[in-house]
Amino acid sequence: MSDNRKLLLDMGERLFADLREQREVEDVWPVLREAGLQHLFRPESADGFGGDWGDGVALLHLSGLYPVNAPLAEILAATWLEETAGFARSDEIAVLAGSAHGKLDGGRFTGEVMAVPVAEGVSRVIAAADGSLVRLDLAAAAKTAEGRNLAGDKHLRLTFESVPAEAKATGEDAIAWGALARTAQIAGALDGVLKLSIDYANERQQFGRPIAKFQSVQQSLALLAEEAAAANCVAQAAAQAADHGDATLECACAKLRAGKAAAIGVEIGHQVHGAIGFTKEHALHDYTRRLAAWRSEFGNERYWGARIGKWAAERGGEALWSGLAERSDRIGKAS
Amino acid sequence: MKTFSIHPFETPFDPALVRAEIRAFLEENLDPATRCVNSWAAPDRAFTQALGAHGFIGMIWPAGYGGGGRHPLERYIVLEELLAARAPVGLHWIADRQSGPLLLRYGTEEQRQRFLPQMAKGELYACIGMSEPGAGSDLASVRTRGERDGDGWRINGQKLWTTNAHNAQIMIALVRTHTGEKRQEGLTQFLIELDSPGVAVRPIIDLVGGHDFNEVFLEDVYVPDAMRVGPEGAGWSQVTAELSLERSGPERYLSSYGLLVELIEYNKNAKDDALEELIGRFVAELWGLRQMSMSTAAKLASGDDPALEAAVVKDLGNAFEQELPRLVQGMLPQTAHTDDGALTAMLSTLLLVSPSFSLRGGTREILRSIIARGLGLR
Repeated sequence: MSDNRKLLLDMGERLFADLREQREVEDVWPVLREAGLQHLFRPESADGFGGDWGDGVALLHLSGLYPVNAPLAEILAATWLEETAGFARSDEIAVLAGSAHGKLDGGRFTGEVMAVPVAEGVSRVIAAADGSLVRLDLAAAAKTAEGRNLAGDKHLRLTFESVPAEAKATGEDAIAWGALARTAQIAGALDGVLKLSIDYANERQQFGRPIAKFQSVQQSLALLAEEAAAANCVAQAAAQAADHGDATLECACAKLRAGKAAAIGVEIGHQVHGAIGFTKEHALHDYTRRLAAWRSEFGNERYWGARIGKWAAERGGEALWSGLAERSDRIGKAS
Repeated sequence: MKTFSIHPFETPFDPALVRAEIRAFLEENLDPATRCVNSWAAPDRAFTQALGAHGFIGMIWPAGYGGGGRHPLERYIVLEELLAARAPVGLHWIADRQSGPLLLRYGTEEQRQRFLPQMAKGELYACIGMSEPGAGSDLASVRTRGERDGDGWRINGQKLWTTNAHNAQIMIALVRTHTGEKRQEGLTQFLIELDSPGVAVRPIIDLVGGHDFNEVFLEDVYVPDAMRVGPEGAGWSQVTAELSLERSGPERYLSSYGLLVELIEYNKNAKDDALEELIGRFVAELWGLRQMSMSTAAKLASGDDPALEAAVVKDLGNAFEQELPRLVQGMLPQTAHTDDGALTAMLSTLLLVSPSFSLRGGTREILRSIIARGLGLR
């Protein structure tokens, strides 16, 4: 781990730990913003942290583990896109939208932008639509509808009618960066579910002994640990790929795998906790509600399965292996 | 708590060059008719000898013992390329993966000189004598006994499910030489030459009609003390030290890979969107397992013993190897099962064979209990 990353993670962990009792985004995000986490991907020359996706995934893992209620994934994915797609840098904070559809015509955008999280100081949204990446002012929306995702986070659905939009012609795979960011958070949240579940199983006594002593419970927890390990591995592996160039395929595979792990993790976590884990008071749902929401966001298993399947079909069966090998060989190669 | 920290697969060589090297070999030497699923259980003497002649067995052993002195991750790349190509590598697999490294680690100089060069040539094959009628998952209950006899040992007992014993010249057997307080004590490993008087190998035919494993009877078999591997009583720790090598390799998730290849080819004509999506899910799983296996290999290469990661790779990898044929069967029309063709043949084989994937080399339940111990639950 680089010294810079260690500094970043120490800072992140301190912040997240201090915010532990805060459940509302209004109380959480201003603290993270004050600390400048939104500038993770900005180069040091522009007063940013100069971070890479290895840093991003490690920080987002922590944000899922604690867990902190802030749209850090959407903001980091958006700043990454702003930096790499060539949008002008500004002090305004953007979020990446979960999905969008619409038309770009002569620099003006008409359409709908969905799953836009709400946080203080966030004034712009980045969305992939009509084969492009557009950056829009939230205030320019003609209509704003408010809803909540499974995790209880406020999400906006914005309707734009022929508003000026900055556009870049790299829209197609923008969602992959959101997928990578979510994968890292899923990995963190699964580690959190595992820890709670182990602690509970060691504490809770039935039939005169801790339920952790029963083989059936042990086998369930082992499977939960395997799924958490898988989510952690794919998040870190996709980050490595992202730091070596094009990584849409890796982000896609990672999110698909992590989505599956999230579903299994929620199920086992609740089963081990019994009725107490089903209460409002217990901390388990801080994880399981998020895991349930995150599995759908930035592409679920079906969405990515179809896209990866298309990639595989284009290569053909015999060339599948060499395709995977080529993509990993660029990462480990001696310089 | 972080359940998995990836170890970068960093190589002091260009991985593409190693791939090019083994692919060129395969182009020359792999007869397409011998390609098969679960190919690391398929013996093929000519192919094994060709691999040996080209330095692809014992790649990481020192040159003084006939090895190639190459980097462990070069070997890893060669193995995954062999398995992805569905090459029949079963004959020497155990010697290359386990018995050779065991002799390098615990064997005497004489044992190394005598056996390793022959193994590396692809001429000498090994089998592992661990399981017995009363000792499967509960390996510490082995009852095959070794008793002192002059400057050697008399060994009596029975080994079971011994893969490759009918092809191998030597067996590394786990034998009880002392009845200690704890069952894990008093176990010793011996190198038994299978042509020794008193050794009888009998085939066990599997449900497909195949002959992979055997029962091996040992009746008053004399083994010189020079064929003891490691100190008396060290058998248990030596056996458990092999497990990470045995459990995290690419063979633990690639046994059904050929079916995925054929499925993609099949869908070129079938053009079934649902099948294409399922293929995408398989590729994602494959990619993830490969990352876990590579990370674990890199950790092993750096000198760590990632026993827990290895158990995770094997359990998740076996689940993938079993899920592939199961889900494919549910997707194909019945005619696809009766038509001739590579897909049908492979699917039929895998549907019958795949239950063994989560039994061999440590059952799913044993792997999960190892993980549970790692979690502090037992």
